Amino acid sequence: MKFTSTLKAVGTAALIAFGAPVAAQDWEPNGPVTIEIGFGAGGSTDTMGRVLAEVMKEQTGWNVIVENRPGGGGVAMFTSLSQRPVDNQTIGMGVGIPVLVQLVQRGDELPFDIDSFDYLGTIAKAELALVASADAPFDTLEEMIAYAEEQGDMPLATMAPPQVLMMNATTKASGVDFNLVTADGGAEVIRLILGGQVLAGFASGEHFPYLESGDMKVIASANQSRLSYAPETQTFIESGVDAYVDAVFFLAMKAGTDPSATAAIAAAIDEAVQSPEIAEIVRNAVQGDPINMGPDGARLMMVDGLENAERLFAN
Amino acid sequence: MVDFSIILAGFGDVFTPFNLLFVVFGVVLGQFVGAVPGIGPVMAMAIAIPFTFGLDPLPAIAFLVGVNKGGLVGGAVPAILMNTPGTPDAAATAMDGYPLTQQGKPLKATKMALFSSITGDTFSDIVLITVAAPLAVLALKMGPVEIVALMIFAFSIISGLMGESLIKGVIAAALGLMISFIGTDPEHFTPRLIFGFWDLFDGLALPSVAIGMLAISEILRRMAEGRGTEGQGILVPDTGNPEDRRVSWVEYWACRYTMLRGATIGTILGALPGIGSTAAAFISYAMTKAASKEQESFGKGNLHGIAATESANSAVVGANMIPLLTLGIPGSVTAALIISAFMIHGMQPGPLLFQNQGRLVYGLFGAMIMANFINLWVGQAGLRLWVKVVSAPKAVIFSSALLLCFVGVSMATNGLFGVTVMLIFAVFGLLMHSFGYSMVIFIIAFFLGPQFEKSLSQAIALLNGNLLNIYTSPVAVALLVLSGVSVFWFLSKRTNEEADTTNLGVPDGETLDQKNP
Repeated sequence: MKFTSTLKAVGTAALIAFGAPVAAQDWEPNGPVTIEIGFGAGGSTDTMGRVLAEVMKEQTGWNVIVENRPGGGGVAMFTSLSQRPVDNQTIGMGVGIPVLVQLVQRGDELPFDIDSFDYLGTIAKAELALVASADAPFDTLEEMIAYAEEQGDMPLATMAPPQVLMMNATTKASGVDFNLVTADGGAEVIRLILGGQVLAGFASGEHFPYLESGDMKVIASANQSRLSYAPETQTFIESGVDAYVDAVFFLAMKAGTDPSATAAIAAAIDEAVQSPEIAEIVRNAVQGDPINMGPDGARLMMVDGLENAERLFAN
Repeated sequence: MVDFSIILAGFGDVFTPFNLLFVVFGVVLGQFVGAVPGIGPVMAMAIAIPFTFGLDPLPAIAFLVGVNKGGLVGGAVPAILMNTPGTPDAAATAMDGYPLTQQGKPLKATKMALFSSITGDTFSDIVLITVAAPLAVLALKMGPVEIVALMIFAFSIISGLMGESLIKGVIAAALGLMISFIGTDPEHFTPRLIFGFWDLFDGLALPSVAIGMLAISEILRRMAEGRGTEGQGILVPDTGNPEDRRVSWVEYWACRYTMLRGATIGTILGALPGIGSTAAAFISYAMTKAASKEQESFGKGNLHGIAATESANSAVVGANMIPLLTLGIPGSVTAALIISAFMIHGMQPGPLLFQNQGRLVYGLFGAMIMANFINLWVGQAGLRLWVKVVSAPKAVIFSSALLLCFVGVSMATNGLFGVTVMLIFAVFGLLMHSFGYSMVIFIIAFFLGPQFEKSLSQAIALLNGNLLNIYTSPVAVALLVLSGVSVFWFLSKRTNEEADTTNLGVPDGETLDQKNP
């Protein structure tokens, strides 16, 4: 008996000493916290989400589980998230741009908009680049446009509608047509380039091993700013094409969630994003560093992103 | 070229007890989930990946490869014993496997599946280890134009499985294609035929459709047939002849060309992304049947039928690693999961993998070969167990199989939406069966439809919108000529058959005649 009460006392003391930061957050999930990933198993979003869940579980002691809910680049997941009642422990993880594109294209058909969610933060940013085989007869976007004009027919691989819009903007700015081939993801773009079926294409990380081996080169950054790994390469904007795409991996919960829950989860995400495990998986997945813009930054990213997507489509 | 000492060190790494243990564990788990209807290796791998975080890269990846390989062996078990394939790959195995079970030879059939599966797998592993790099470069040259031609060729071969009515076969294929159009179009990403269900945005999930049509509808049909009868059930009693419980060397050896053909088809299709093991199994089956002198025995329990499908679908696994390891390009969902495991462990498959991580890669090769041996041993022991399991009363077997299908599909598709789809297709499957339409043709068309559509749109873009420009690709032209020849050949043979055989009233591509085996 005595031993038990001593144990309890020690336990309580330990709880007070070490448990204080958790207690300060003043919120504990009632059951498992679910991260719903808007893409299928095996992709970069899925891989990062699973590591994030694992790290959060270790750091907070919560039971964090992962579910894949693929469909429409995250639209299926955000649709179902917005339609279910608030439960204070279901988090959606997706990528900004595919959702924004759907909101611009058929916003009236979708049951949600940007304000349907409370944003928790971001984990990384995918840098989108226009890449080509190392022996392609051009090194910059301007040279590529000139080459395409000379050839009259240059095949180029895209993997999503925003990239098609960027190439349409390029055509509008330069008057040169491209022969656009739609590929099913970055890996296929790489395959088409290596196989010589297309001369250039968009990729968001799948080309890194080939940059290292010297088989490929970067032609332009499709982001708003230059690429972290190729700072000398110009953006589309700098090359005279007023268009860009920024793809940010973010997390959100249904609007109306208990503010103490969003605060606690956002804090847990922030802590996890600073861990070495996340740094490693983000480096492997997108070749960059983890970026957490925080709840306000994530919301701002979506609002700005929607404006940009509207501008792209108006083009 | 990688230094020889690294190769040896890599192979040596596999033989630490710890690493071997994980290969064994992976294979056992894989065979189990493969044999349980509805779960399958893809599910098991997706769930297992987080558990490999704490491991070193070699045991982690070897474990996942073990699950994958074990799953293909396990998938054949319910297909043969109950005519309810656990994975779509095994659908073709049921065509000759289940009739053998009905003849009281379940062990013979499952053992043949095991042996040919491991033969095909080992063949493609050896190809992978020896000539992966040049083969990958060759596969790269197969662009969208060539892939379209190859798929047309595949369709023309599979048309040999059409069954007795050409018109019904074409209708089944057209329905399968139509169902595959559900979801976004590959060119402009506009949703088609989704009627407001955003869950359909990426199309109908293959597990829902395949398990619903092949497994659930079969179970429902058998329950309807067995109404009023009770107790023991789905196994015909053992014939008592020990010959029927094993595969003799003579029988194995007689299938050598069949297995070689299957393994070659599986290896080629595995090295090319997107076509996959299900198609490989059916193409191999159709080609074996066409080449056989005793065509009428197919679908009635011909060992060659099992050898053809199992060697082909298992060969795809090893060959899938060719584009994965050398180029970092996944050829299937399981391959994509293995890439994600590589990424979690800090490596990116691609051109420098052999240079930077040579020892790990050769360790992985060693693990793959070991996994094949372990597959054989675990399989030998496990098959007896499964045959025992299905000799339980029908009431137990069918209800647990149904339950597992529900659980498996809801896990694979993340929710009850997939289960609803499965049930709709179970009813659809029952209807198709009772009107004599081939479900197998339907599934293949559904499965290959999206890939075909995507490749076709890519090919049209590359050919500047004019398909007549196809002459610029000699490979594509050759494949199209071959397709023409094979369709002509199948059709002429069909007219001959119609002239001199009596019509049994059953499509000969499937094992429909269960009452009179």
